[in-house]
Amino acid sequence: MDFTEQVRKRASQLIEEGTVACVIGWSAGRLKYQRTPTCADTPEQASNLVCDQHCEHALGKYVLEQKDKGRVGLVARGCESRAINRLIADRQINREDVYLIGIPCTGCTTRDGVELKRCHECQFRNPVIYDELLGEPAPEPKNDRFADVRKLEAMSREERRAFFDLMYETCIRCHACRQACPCCTCKVCFAEQEREGWQGKQFDVEQARYYGVTRSFHVADRCIECGECERVCPMGLPLMTLMHKQIKDIDELFGPYEGGGLSDEGPDALRTFKTDDIEEFM
Amino acid sequence: MSKIIVEHGCAGICEGSSLVPKIVHVTGIKELTHDVKLFTFKTPEGTAPFASKPGQLGMFSVPPFGECMFCITSRGEDYVEMAVKKVGVVTEQMHKLRVGDSVGLRGPYGNSFPYESCKGRNMLFIAGGIGMAPVRAFLEYCLGHREDYGRIDLVYSASTYDDLVFKEELFEKWPSYPDTHVHVSLYHGNESWTGPVSYTAPYLEQVVAEEGLSTENAAVTLCGGPSLFRTCRESLTKLGYSPENIITTLEARMKCGVGKCGRCNIGGKYICLDGPVFTEAELADIPRDL
Amino acid sequence: MLFKKSRLAEVLDATAQAMDVYVPAIVEGTSCFAPYGEDAGVTEPNFELQNTKIPPKGLLFPSTEKLYTWGKGPEGAFIESALDKPAPFVAFGVRPCDVAAIERMDQVFLTKGYIDEFYQAKREALTCVALACNRASDACFCTSMGQSPNEAPEADLLLVEGEDAFEIHPQTEKGQALADLWKPFLEEGSVDHKPVECSTQVNMEGVAQKLHGMFDSPLWDEVSTACLTCGSCTFICPTCHCFDLSQARKKEENARFRCWDSCMFKDYTLMAGNHNPREQKRNRVRQRFMHKLCFFEERYGEPLCVGCGRCLVDCPATMDITAIIDKVNAWEEKEASHV
Repeated sequence: MDFTEQVRKRASQLIEEGTVACVIGWSAGRLKYQRTPTCADTPEQASNLVCDQHCEHALGKYVLEQKDKGRVGLVARGCESRAINRLIADRQINREDVYLIGIPCTGCTTRDGVELKRCHECQFRNPVIYDELLGEPAPEPKNDRFADVRKLEAMSREERRAFFDLMYETCIRCHACRQACPCCTCKVCFAEQEREGWQGKQFDVEQARYYGVTRSFHVADRCIECGECERVCPMGLPLMTLMHKQIKDIDELFGPYEGGGLSDEGPDALRTFKTDDIEEFM
Repeated sequence: MSKIIVEHGCAGICEGSSLVPKIVHVTGIKELTHDVKLFTFKTPEGTAPFASKPGQLGMFSVPPFGECMFCITSRGEDYVEMAVKKVGVVTEQMHKLRVGDSVGLRGPYGNSFPYESCKGRNMLFIAGGIGMAPVRAFLEYCLGHREDYGRIDLVYSASTYDDLVFKEELFEKWPSYPDTHVHVSLYHGNESWTGPVSYTAPYLEQVVAEEGLSTENAAVTLCGGPSLFRTCRESLTKLGYSPENIITTLEARMKCGVGKCGRCNIGGKYICLDGPVFTEAELADIPRDL
Repeated sequence: MLFKKSRLAEVLDATAQAMDVYVPAIVEGTSCFAPYGEDAGVTEPNFELQNTKIPPKGLLFPSTEKLYTWGKGPEGAFIESALDKPAPFVAFGVRPCDVAAIERMDQVFLTKGYIDEFYQAKREALTCVALACNRASDACFCTSMGQSPNEAPEADLLLVEGEDAFEIHPQTEKGQALADLWKPFLEEGSVDHKPVECSTQVNMEGVAQKLHGMFDSPLWDEVSTACLTCGSCTFICPTCHCFDLSQARKKEENARFRCWDSCMFKDYTLMAGNHNPREQKRNRVRQRFMHKLCFFEERYGEPLCVGCGRCLVDCPATMDITAIIDKVNAWEEKEASHV
């Protein structure tokens, strides 16, 4: 996939004609596979944007930081468009705050040319909302995304415990997963409410587990499955396994459910109560 | 007039680098306002926890709520005093302390006010609210060595009458010293307050004009919140005080107190170790977040 | 002097008899300096790793370290220091950049007024065995930071890897002691080692001085855009040493500890009363890069970056410190051309 030329052209035009104040996209780095998120404020800056298979970063959440400039243009693939729906549903932005330049995505690759896990598991590569679409819709391979969940479900209690213990022992609590997550928009995260002291500062498996599990449950029914948490994790932890497990459970218990961010309308599964909900626990 | 020289950093390796505090006892608590208390500490043996110079800092800990850095308000032969305002987790716990309780204390940290190189000068102290705490350490030193310094003026403001700290000293003790003038204003007056109602900076300008204070041979000491800092600095510049003669004491979040943990830096300097006392002239060349 | 690669296990075993040995290894998916030995499960160092993901700084400056315990005893309140004197240990196969990073930490913890006795105790117990690089990854830029991939002057002993042997260069008394220990495995000779050069290079000349005047530059808005303000760069950085002090109350004991902290976190500088001088992302990003490239140099005379390249590889937003240095260099020209 290479939409660099189209993105540059449209971004420059949109800024020039005043439709948007800026366009969030990617720029190239020193090394040939290096891309970094950037915000173009001028047509000249827009002419340096890049959009190809190395653009691994999901951009949706950057809108929050740029929206004070005015209407924000956003290069939007499936994952970005769902993030925008999520942010609208969570009352973080309004639809008219953003102008979505839709990209029919065919997936990103690592520097070695391997398809990213999050792209392989992606169910909605084409943007689910957009203001314009560059090119024809891309095919949706809809690969299996629950393989890791089935493996988890097949484990014994002890094996599961070991799986999560290893994960949280490895965690360095850099909070990259939270920072990248479009569902994590709390003004003050529970982990930083120092006064309440929910979260201890020591680096050990208990604190990491507490942080990881709480965060994961907090976003369970809103998760848009962009897999950005897993991609940004410097320790390469399988964070999506628990997310996928929860999405699969929500689908089985309250479904049909395909994950968050497919529309900008709430309420979400775990905040909706119906008389025919299963209530085994009562 | 010789230059005001503020010492920065430690000349060599200091004693007692430890991040481990010593036990001290609370031997006195005085309620200064509704949210400020003055604590007196002694070691279990009844001696002063450490020998500190005016302007230096002490790291106070209330297990298990954490540590907090305070300016040492004054030090006597066998005690240290700290005025503490209730603003956060640790200070809230401190306000629950009773006489006889044990707490942790380590220090003293940081540099001190340039009381030596200020000798012979007219001293102008400016403080707002709890900013009085560090200023008091310097002021009391000057009053204790009254003959070494020229005229002494204190311009002090607080939000309301109840927020004025050290009222006894302000209205009785300090004005009784020779050639020592205390000027107090409130941001919000009340029926019984007959003094001026004004913010610090305009009041400062008024005092300097009315009293005919000379900017020559003066040393100004300034401490207060961020807005007081900004406005008073502008006023002082307008009045013609040179930045070399304006002394301030800075505040930041601190954890280690020994210039290692990283968070209280301004440029390449650490407030806990190289500061907290700087002259305005020095600060002008240090890039910093405010 | 050298020892044959076939005798590496014997060298390590002999060392491990005398003291704890840490070697680069992949343990449960993460590369780090892990204890060597049958019991620890690491029986072979992994020298294929250019750099371990987790730097060796934790051997001297653990991510969580108990400082003291407190409580109420029969004689009233007590505070008891948790300082202990660790047994001598060896870090075996530390890359030159990471050795330089230890020297930076020495500056912080052992100079300028106070000695941190917790760091000092471990530092004195450490024998640092460096391993010269045989290649440089595309993220390596240590030569630009005044280091060399071929030597490690601060190490106790330097290993130079050849085809089938490691040449040894003891550089301190501790290093010599280790060489004496290895005597049975040593033989005369040298190895053929082609000096390595970094392909990624930046010009650090005058960057600190330039940055001093760029505190209010719009550059910081530009470079901070991508940053997620997570702490990955600071935790994987071999020189980042900022820490927090906190406490844990447990049934067995109440302990105060220090732990790694990150200037990228909002609560790092948050003061009581909610004033925060670095509330904005741009201020925090600026602090990090100014500390690395300007403030540390002003204080200690060298940059707080050794060019190991870890942050280039692992930053989730691909923030590239070398690109920022390039931008700083270019920015001056841009501004100058306006005048």
